[in-house]
Amino acid sequence: MDPKLVEVTQLIDRFKAAFKASNFDVCSTLLSQLKVLLTKFPSLPPVFQQTPNAVEELKLAREIYEQAVILSVKMEDQDAFERDFCQLKPYYMDTCGIIPPSSEEYPIMGANLLRLLVQNRIAEFHTELELLPAKALDNAYIKHGVELEQSFMEGAYNRVLSARQTAPHETYIYFMDLLVKTVRDEIAGCSEKGYDYLSINDAKQMFKFSSDKELQQYIAEVN
Amino acid sequence: ALPPSSEAFTRLSPLLPKEDGSEMDVDTAAPAAQVSIKHGLPEIEIYCYLLVLIFLIDHKKYDEAKACANSSIARLKNLNRRTVDVLASRLYSYYSYVHELTNSLAEIRGTLLGLHRMATLHHDELGQETLLNLLLRNYLHYNLYDQAEKLRSKAPRFEAHSNQQQFCRYLFYLGKIRTIQLEYTDAKESLLQAARKAPTAARGFRIQCNKWAILVRLLLGEIPERTVFMQKGMKAALTPYFELTNAVRVGDLEVFRAVAEKFGSTFSADRTSNLIVRLRHNVIRTGLRNISISYSRISLADIAKKLRLDTKTAVADAESIVAKAIRDGAIDATIDHANGWVVSKETGDVYSTNEPQAAFNSRIAFCLNMHNEAVKALRFPPNSHKEKESAEKRRERLQQEEELAKHMAEEEDDDF
Repeated sequence: MDPKLVEVTQLIDRFKAAFKASNFDVCSTLLSQLKVLLTKFPSLPPVFQQTPNAVEELKLAREIYEQAVILSVKMEDQDAFERDFCQLKPYYMDTCGIIPPSSEEYPIMGANLLRLLVQNRIAEFHTELELLPAKALDNAYIKHGVELEQSFMEGAYNRVLSARQTAPHETYIYFMDLLVKTVRDEIAGCSEKGYDYLSINDAKQMFKFSSDKELQQYIAEVN
Repeated sequence: ALPPSSEAFTRLSPLLPKEDGSEMDVDTAAPAAQVSIKHGLPEIEIYCYLLVLIFLIDHKKYDEAKACANSSIARLKNLNRRTVDVLASRLYSYYSYVHELTNSLAEIRGTLLGLHRMATLHHDELGQETLLNLLLRNYLHYNLYDQAEKLRSKAPRFEAHSNQQQFCRYLFYLGKIRTIQLEYTDAKESLLQAARKAPTAARGFRIQCNKWAILVRLLLGEIPERTVFMQKGMKAALTPYFELTNAVRVGDLEVFRAVAEKFGSTFSADRTSNLIVRLRHNVIRTGLRNISISYSRISLADIAKKLRLDTKTAVADAESIVAKAIRDGAIDATIDHANGWVVSKETGDVYSTNEPQAAFNSRIAFCLNMHNEAVKALRFPPNSHKEKESAEKRRERLQQEEELAKHMAEEEDDDF
């Protein structure tokens, strides 16, 4: 097993270097190679065999998938995010006894909650939330997602828009941008019904656009 | 006890405790054993397993009970007799129960799935229903709502649920899944049905059903009546929910927060804390509705104060919340942004709209549904009814024929 582990570790280092250099194509090819190598490890889910190197293998595999998830965010590929996250989930759920918890666990879970919110899959958002243990709700990343969902449900959209500034992790910024667009659509819908008359300045403030031009652009799109 | 040649004896006897409890068990096993010597039926063996298992559970010897349950399941896998099915389904329930008590439910999930497969192949309906419910319970115990829903949607469904107990349980689990998935109307139906059909002896089950039903109604925006909380025997358990309902009814966020904190431990024990969090939105909505009915015009700052929205951007929050409420149709009003106030519209005459019609329609549909279900649930005992009738009727008929014959004979005589 050992030479395989060494090989995988080397590839991971190259991957991280390419990632830092923002060389995403190289990253993708390296990632595919890594995934192929992973199939040779017997101790991964769903088989979970008890080999002596199990701990190392599980840790490496988890790291690879975490990097994959972060890469998919950078490449703005939501489907890839979903796929990689699905593969990552058994590592978080079932391996709690075997390997120590990862530092990226909560940020990535939070990012997933955010993704479900953006795609308006609120039912799945709640089922995912149920899966988390109670103390997870205190974690900043998870709390961010939960509060966002609450504000969204209540209709306090301005809170959502201002939460963009307080995103705790750089991966969140991508989702927050998507969310802002959804929120603006919602605000437009509500304003249509609620206001008889709204001045340009007030609209600018509500939608949190920074200039009149953006507002005009948005109105043109919606109409 | 059982004949020494039987393997079951060797397996069961180490499980029996050596104190005086064993005497009682030996006594029950002895007559059973005598019968089994004569007939050698596997049913007796399974029945013995069941008795020993229940006995061990009652005495809280959970590890031994687990060993007994495991061996009984292994034995059951080799049998394929319909007569064993009823006993087998009881064994499955206790097997799952024992594992639940020892916190090892995850281990038996695979076994339960295998047993369910077998039961479906054998067309063992009772076993199928029981195992489906046990699997759902297993998944819900670990909050795996996604997998539970996938199983439920794919598993074969039974239209004529002959076993009321299993049906009740199924409805309860279904209601729970639907609640988490935000489908509150379906959830309410299932939970209320489960609470109604449950036997009066199953108080704990009905309390649970009622707790979830209350929460679902609150989430739907309707306030459950006081009588729901005052049902006999449930008052103490439902008190936290009663206070919660009050907070939602009044629409006061502060009270709601206080109640949620006060009873936090009860809610987390019931695993309903996430649902309570969702209620916050309802509290605000109710408060807003009260305000819009009572004021024809009110400034946004005042709304924010009344709703106790205590964030820094309270006024802007209030504005967005009101706008959303208007769009969702909860209140009828317009916002005047320049002056910063909300003007409520005139509430017209309700009877001139379609609303009474819709309300009647839903009630009629409900009654008809109930009628249909009652008719479907009528079960005529298969042939016994006819048998008795025909015996009596035959006698009557014969009697009548005799009389008629006599009568006719007399008439003929008279005529002549």
